Amino acid sequence: MAGNALTSSSSSRPFSPAVDARSINLGLAAIAFISPQNHPILVRAVSGSQEDLLKYHYLAHTSLDVIDERIAAASKAPIESYLGFLYALEDVAVYGYITPLKLKIVIILTLSDAVVRDADVISIFKALHWAYYRAAANPLLKLHTPLDTPNDHILVVGSPEWVSFRKRVDEVARAAGALPVDSAS
Amino acid sequence: MNSYPPELLVQLAPVMFVAGLDVPPPPESTPSAAPGEPPSTRPLQDPFTLLTIRLRDALLSQRTAAIWQPDKSKTFQTVLVDKDVRFPPRKIPLSTDPHSLVHSPLSPLTPTSPLHPDGLIAPIWVRKHTTLVPSVFVVFIRLYESPPHHMPRSPLDQPHPDREAEERRRDAEMSAEIALRKKSTSERGIKLTVVLIASRKMLDDPALDTRLTFIRRQSGLDYRAALFVLSPVSPGELNEFIKSLQQALYEPAVDYYTSHSKRVRRKRNRHAQAASAYVLPVSPLGVASPTRPLRPEGWTVRYEYKMACFAEFRGEFEVALKHYQDAYSSLLMMFGSTAILPPRTKRWAEAKVLADCINLKICKLYLYNNEHALALSQHTIHSRRFSDFSRGWGIGDETFEFWSWIARQHRVFAELLEHGTSSTLILPAHKAAIPVPAAAPSGLAELDALRVLGLNPANALQHPGFYYYMAAQATERRRAQFFAMLESVEANGANLPGFANEKKVDHSGIALELYTKAYELFKKHSPLSNGNGQGRLTLRIAGRIAGTYYAAGKFDMAVRFFERIAKTYRRERWGTMLRPLLATCVTILVEMLAHGIDEDEDDDGILQEDLLAVLKSTVPSSHEEPLIVDLSDSEPIFATSIIFWTSTAFVGDRVAFQLSLTAPHDVAISALPFASLAIYFSHKEEPVVVHHDADAVVSGKVQRVDFGDLNPGIGAQAKGCLRWGKGGTIVFVGTVSSDVPMTLAIKRAVLALREGNWTVEIPIDPAAVRDGPVSNPKWLFNVDPIKFAPLRDGSNDHVTVHYRPHRLRVSMTHQSPAYLDEEYPIIISITNEDDRPLDVVLDVLLQPAEIDETVNDIRIDDEHSQSLIKGVAIGVIVPGTTALKSLYLTNTGGDGDRVLDISIQSRSPIVQDTSEVLLTLSVPTVAPMKVDYDVKYLHTRGPLPGLTDLHTYDRDYWDDREGGEAIIRAQMECVGPWGLSVETVRLVRKNGPHARVLECSLDEDEDDVTSDWLPGDEFAAICRISLSLEDETSEDDVFSGPGEFELSWRRILPNGDHGPLCTSRFPLPTLQPPRQSVIALLELPSSAKLHISISAHLTIRNHHPSRTASLSVQLEPDAADSFLIAGQRSARVPALLPGSEVRLAWSLIPIECGFVRVPRFRVLDKRNAGTVSPTQQPPGIEEEGIPVRVVDMRREERAKMVDEALALALEDAPSGGGGGVDDAGSIGPVLVLPSFNDNMSTI
Repeated sequence: MAGNALTSSSSSRPFSPAVDARSINLGLAAIAFISPQNHPILVRAVSGSQEDLLKYHYLAHTSLDVIDERIAAASKAPIESYLGFLYALEDVAVYGYITPLKLKIVIILTLSDAVVRDADVISIFKALHWAYYRAAANPLLKLHTPLDTPNDHILVVGSPEWVSFRKRVDEVARAAGALPVDSAS
Repeated sequence: MNSYPPELLVQLAPVMFVAGLDVPPPPESTPSAAPGEPPSTRPLQDPFTLLTIRLRDALLSQRTAAIWQPDKSKTFQTVLVDKDVRFPPRKIPLSTDPHSLVHSPLSPLTPTSPLHPDGLIAPIWVRKHTTLVPSVFVVFIRLYESPPHHMPRSPLDQPHPDREAEERRRDAEMSAEIALRKKSTSERGIKLTVVLIASRKMLDDPALDTRLTFIRRQSGLDYRAALFVLSPVSPGELNEFIKSLQQALYEPAVDYYTSHSKRVRRKRNRHAQAASAYVLPVSPLGVASPTRPLRPEGWTVRYEYKMACFAEFRGEFEVALKHYQDAYSSLLMMFGSTAILPPRTKRWAEAKVLADCINLKICKLYLYNNEHALALSQHTIHSRRFSDFSRGWGIGDETFEFWSWIARQHRVFAELLEHGTSSTLILPAHKAAIPVPAAAPSGLAELDALRVLGLNPANALQHPGFYYYMAAQATERRRAQFFAMLESVEANGANLPGFANEKKVDHSGIALELYTKAYELFKKHSPLSNGNGQGRLTLRIAGRIAGTYYAAGKFDMAVRFFERIAKTYRRERWGTMLRPLLATCVTILVEMLAHGIDEDEDDDGILQEDLLAVLKSTVPSSHEEPLIVDLSDSEPIFATSIIFWTSTAFVGDRVAFQLSLTAPHDVAISALPFASLAIYFSHKEEPVVVHHDADAVVSGKVQRVDFGDLNPGIGAQAKGCLRWGKGGTIVFVGTVSSDVPMTLAIKRAVLALREGNWTVEIPIDPAAVRDGPVSNPKWLFNVDPIKFAPLRDGSNDHVTVHYRPHRLRVSMTHQSPAYLDEEYPIIISITNEDDRPLDVVLDVLLQPAEIDETVNDIRIDDEHSQSLIKGVAIGVIVPGTTALKSLYLTNTGGDGDRVLDISIQSRSPIVQDTSEVLLTLSVPTVAPMKVDYDVKYLHTRGPLPGLTDLHTYDRDYWDDREGGEAIIRAQMECVGPWGLSVETVRLVRKNGPHARVLECSLDEDEDDVTSDWLPGDEFAAICRISLSLEDETSEDDVFSGPGEFELSWRRILPNGDHGPLCTSRFPLPTLQPPRQSVIALLELPSSAKLHISISAHLTIRNHHPSRTASLSVQLEPDAADSFLIAGQRSARVPALLPGSEVRLAWSLIPIECGFVRVPRFRVLDKRNAGTVSPTQQPPGIEEEGIPVRVVDMRREERAKMVDEALALALEDAPSGGGGGVDDAGSIGPVLVLPSFNDNMSTI
């Protein structure tokens, strides 16, 4: 339900490209948000078992190496947000994305013997970026914190806003076909 | 790769047998040594021996057996053999039936073959073709050379008869030998090449050709590339020879392998046809029989594999790839049926090895061709297919065999990549291909192109480190499965196949080796490193290495790794990953307490139990030294907050503080036996110690421990409960004070835990923050009910203690506003209201004024400055007394405010107890007097000196002819708020070259003007100034006034006293006399008597510096005129030279009384007519000339210089309108009075 709502209503939003659930089945396994300081913000296993969560943490963390490498390699040219395929390890492939404010988004796809269209991955990334943007835009997030706290901690793990952010991420994952639609409620 | 037979993996290349290169046994018996050579020659220097050795080395180094050799250069794999080497038998007849078909000894059909009856391909077959059977056979033979004394002395000599016969005999022997060899090689289609080694001299022998022809014919050698002659040459030339030898022999070699291929293909085709009709000849009951022959699929594999190998020998990699693939797919078909290949048999194991090797060959050939994705895909498919098969064979992923095999596949693939990357292979870079953004796809083709954009991540080839890593992981799985099986084996006592072998395997060692290789490769392939040279990927591998060490029981190594890894994870706050790291590390269990956390409720308290268990079960290494667990880099256990009641305090004041330690809410630590808490303040060494009070009862979430007032410098003790419930808080409260100014803060606290022999100290850094929402510390107001509230002035984590400020009262007395030019007194009064004597020092800073042309000055005592007077010592002021200091401010220039910054620094008898009072004083300053000037200019009266008057050329001649005089009236007004007592007013003359003061009204009563001027009073003075103009007119003829008025005055203070004497100066205004070229001055008496004639004089002056004036004068009587005029009415004045004048006279007789209008005089300058621009003048004037202004000398008064045209315009107006009396430029009337003593007789 929510997934459909997202796809149908998102066309009017500038930052939320429609994630077409029908054409994509990328085997999205996990999503990770990493702060500009390389601190983890959210690592979420969207399909498969939660036991793999630690593995996804490791994958997300190690992908920072490749992301750094890509950024350094592209330092002359303007850096594209979409960093593309980072690496594949065991049974997953890792894709990366970096926002202009250096927030890194990493998605982990289960390896299947099929071509992964960059356009599909990009649309997932854009939707995730939008989800983060929406969640972080809440001005009340810093209500009880000192003003000079780094923005990293805006979406602290466990805060109510984090839960709603997680819901947004799940919504994107659902739209990308990783979660069954029913689990929305 | 060592786990596979090297024959099946090595890169195949054409094989060349080389015979006859045995190093001859040393020296004296060497038949080749020429007898004529000097005996000193060492055997190695024998050119032929040297040549032999060089040949051996050069040939062997042409190609070394390696797995990765993609180059297709025409080189041979050289095998050195004996001249009489025998080839293995091609076919051997079946012993039982001599009439049946013969087969190769390696054929499955040969009962003695290791492959009998159903083997596929054995490594020995490849070995046969690489070491036992060549494609070309090269024989090096020494050509017989006759001893030198048999040689002819000259070409003309007859050949020695013995020689020829001997040569012929030797050659025939050799030819026979070669022919024998040739026979055996020809049987197998092997090319035989003979290289004759001869001395250089022999090459020049004319007989050589005939000998060679003879040998060739006798031995039956081919005509092409079959016979070479070589003499000892340099290594360079030798290489050239070997190169050309290989070039020449490459084609026969390729032919050799091609013919093999053709033969095999024929056999395969024949077999394929037969296969359809093939009936299993034996074991009709389907019972597995040891003599069951190879099935058709097996033959296909065999033939395809052979063809692939022969293609590889030929360097035709594409063909080889095709055949290998066919062989591989046939092999898969065989594996697909357990009937064809029953699992866990010898043949099955051989086939598996073969499949793995073929897979590797396929991968390699793809990589030769840079088909990275295909290679990886082949590798993946192979792993997947055999994983599927394995499940069918009962060795699925729950067995160590399976993981062992997977690990081997990854490892071999990684090794292949490593071989490749170390020579020619370049790994692909997987950069993001950015899709064309937003370009609307116009056609279907573009849409397709967009769809294709992307890659299959499963086929993205990466550097070998990844595959080593996967191999290592598989090895770990293998180990895990092995241990699982070990348990079940021990339980059941069953013995499984391969288990005994597996027991001997050092799994950890293998895994470590693989991880280490992966680590090195990741390090090598990572261009970046984050700071300390550690990439995150390498850290991850290091983590796995540590985990392996840990699993292997090498705790010390594990901890060392963990420490290094944990650093990065901590820094980047990847707690989730850090936790398992720590979890595996026993000695840092305490740290675990801080990090907390498993989300599982079941694990509640498990950490503290672990810790307690460790503490209870172990004995510390040292009983004296406490174990210090420094958590400064990591998450602290407690959320610490420190708050002081105020942020600043005075010396001696008591300041309340609260230190609260909050336990994490997700970890239970209530059982931990904390014994004491030591709190270290910044101002003293001794801590304040809280000891655990065993009797205290934990009540509620918040407890309060009160220290009371803490004396500075002395350690204090308190008792309190040091047990925290989940999320519980203990607040330590107390007050502190200081006798000296300082910053009071809590530096750190140390929590001590005592259990058995252990003393664990956990330092608590108050600045450390736990992960999670950060909030400002709050003050605990009440325990029951708990009431925390933030303090109004924010959270103070420290207190700054100051001295009490000095109570000084400072006031300033002055009579504002100040006058300009006045020395303005400001009295600074400093009163000590403190109870301490204070030493006071004064600084005064005069701010730079923003008003133009002001020069201000301050003075204290004798010290003058225009900006700063520093360090004026006032001295010690005893409490209750006042010190006064006068400050004088002198202002000149313009009005406005002067700003003074006054700093009063005081110091109490205690050193360093200083304080400063800063005051800013703004003094409005006004002018005491306002002076207005009124300036009028007059023409020179009296005759001008003549042009020829030499006197006028004197240096000191005052030429006021043109300038005339100026009358200056000065009006001074007392404008300030205070009265002035003026003592003198005088004009100070400063005569200049153009202006000098003639007289002044003040000259006479200079000293009589002493008087008091009250605000609003005015005073006037007039002075007359003579002006001397330059001949040349310049644009601005402005002269400064030739003097200034000087006033000496005192301010009248409100109490009637007079202030100090001040002097103000007002310079005369600047002068700008008007200039005219021609001017007419009319002299008339002011009054006249009726009927008595008066004379009118008109003086016309030409002031123009160079131009002569041509003038006409008209007297225009009017009917209404009351004068009778005697004199010319109209006259032409003779040319008036520059600087000269002419005086005309008339007599006028008034005939009426009263103010009588004077007849009008008109002077016209004809010469000047042209100079006026025609646009401004009516055309008539041009003929008449320009009217010259006629000035009435009686009432002459001119303002500053005006424009000449404007002056003319003014002149014109009255002439038209009949002239008004009030017109400044017109002629005034004459008052005519009746003359009483006049009788009419004069008429």
